[in-house]
Amino acid sequence: MNRISCKVGEVELNSPIILASGTCNFGHELSEFYDLSILGGISSKGLTVKPRQGNPGVRVAETACGMLNSVGLQNPGVDYFIENDLDYMNTLGCKVIVNVAGHSFEDYIEMVRKLNKYADKIDALEINLSCPNVKAGCMSVGSDASQVKEIVSLMRKETKLPLWIKLTPNVTDIKEIALAAQEGGADAVVMINTLLGMVIDIKTRRPILRNNTGGYSGPAVKPVAIRMVAECSNVLNIPIIGCGGIMSYEDVVEFMIAGASAVEIGTGSLVHPALPVEITADLEKYCEDNDINLSDLTGTLQLW
Amino acid sequence: MADYKKEYEAVIVKREMLNDDTAYITVKCPDIANSAMPGQFVNISCSKFLKRPFGIADVDTVNGTFNIGVKVVGKGTKEIAAFDEGKVVTVLGPLGNGFDFEALRGKKLILVAGGTGVFPIHFASSYCKANNIEYKLVQGFRNASQVIMSDDDVILTTDAGDAGIHGNCCNGLDTIDEEFVKEAVLCCVGPLPMMRACGNWATSKGIKSFVSMEQRMACGVGICLVCVCKVKAEANGEEFKHVRCCKEGPVFPFEEVIW
Repeated sequence: MNRISCKVGEVELNSPIILASGTCNFGHELSEFYDLSILGGISSKGLTVKPRQGNPGVRVAETACGMLNSVGLQNPGVDYFIENDLDYMNTLGCKVIVNVAGHSFEDYIEMVRKLNKYADKIDALEINLSCPNVKAGCMSVGSDASQVKEIVSLMRKETKLPLWIKLTPNVTDIKEIALAAQEGGADAVVMINTLLGMVIDIKTRRPILRNNTGGYSGPAVKPVAIRMVAECSNVLNIPIIGCGGIMSYEDVVEFMIAGASAVEIGTGSLVHPALPVEITADLEKYCEDNDINLSDLTGTLQLW
Repeated sequence: MADYKKEYEAVIVKREMLNDDTAYITVKCPDIANSAMPGQFVNISCSKFLKRPFGIADVDTVNGTFNIGVKVVGKGTKEIAAFDEGKVVTVLGPLGNGFDFEALRGKKLILVAGGTGVFPIHFASSYCKANNIEYKLVQGFRNASQVIMSDDDVILTTDAGDAGIHGNCCNGLDTIDEEFVKEAVLCCVGPLPMMRACGNWATSKGIKSFVSMEQRMACGVGICLVCVCKVKAEANGEEFKHVRCCKEGPVFPFEEVIW
């Protein structure tokens, strides 16, 4: 066992680093930069029942310490994915996580049923209850605890695959939502998806994003994510995958201390495609220097 | 930071100002110099969160350098246009699909540049010179004070009429000999209305044309899906599809783009 390996429930990862959905497509592009087998896993672009072309441009707005996007789940659809990308993801040498985003309960169930037939090629399903850039499903479901519990329990009946529920931070009390996911039968929660935001062009007095609002990500959101992981770590029995603004090994360590069993890197890859290579090497050195296994840190936060 | 595939630490070896707000920068990076094709771009780091994309303006394979032109449009480009010689930057590249010179083999080329499009088109014309490809180059500027990257062989046009032909790029295109046009393909980089007009001009002459699309970018490598261009869908019942300027583009056949 290497010092940075970890477990998310039954899923064993040789590194805590997972590429976040929507920031790595299906792995083809980043394979041009580094060997993805160093990763713990890769989470696919969020899939829908039918192909989606997403929102019109402009879809990105930069901020001082991050960016907003309003892609709107552009993806080739679950059938195309199964036929064209799933086998490729299985050649990458890391765990394959398939991200599922529906517009309705029926959508989620239909996709889980379809993907369940390929369970031998999938290590976990990540259920997107948090995309802020689409009108139906996703965040509108994920910000209502009773709907979260209901949809998760419906999916639980359909599959034995690990169900990781990706949560939105755009709620008053994320603990309530995370507990609802746990009660519905989730195997883990992933937090956080992006924060809903807006950037205005002062010359035109219009939002820069054609969709008006978008999801805010990058280092600026990390303290929000850390706070939410720490809050949920106290009340959940299921593991947490931490996500939000990771740019260095110290950020990974911080998430682990807050209560994460593994982490996702998203926006960091957009700025520096080979960032996970650097972080992996730094984490190994950190564990060596401190003579610890990284997973020993999970949930060791001591509050004042 | 170590070098990774397509991601390099590179040194700014030369910077000159072409006019008040446009710099021409030479960057040492042999891997990019040796593999870049006209129409491709690089992403360059500055103190802002995201890297900035620039069309490659030329390469020098002997010295292992490439050039970019930087017009100041915001805080990031202002900073990059002022980079000191000797500064080390992170560069991703070469990125995207440029002009497909393999597919254009045997054709004459009509190159058209407007605005910062003069930079990638400059790379295309030096490529033509180096590979004995016959070409005509049309440049369009607002007025004489904006003229950069030009020489006596260029068919120059200005909106103000204080240099070259009074008019736009299409007025310049009209001066090219009909016999040359018939055997040519048009390659155009510039503002959207100008590229659309030039593409329509090519269509009216019965020749093919290619345009280089621009959209606000984040990653530049095809993973974030923000820099989309609307193109005609293949026969699958959809009205259009969104493709990535940074990955499928930036160069697209004119007739595929939905304007």
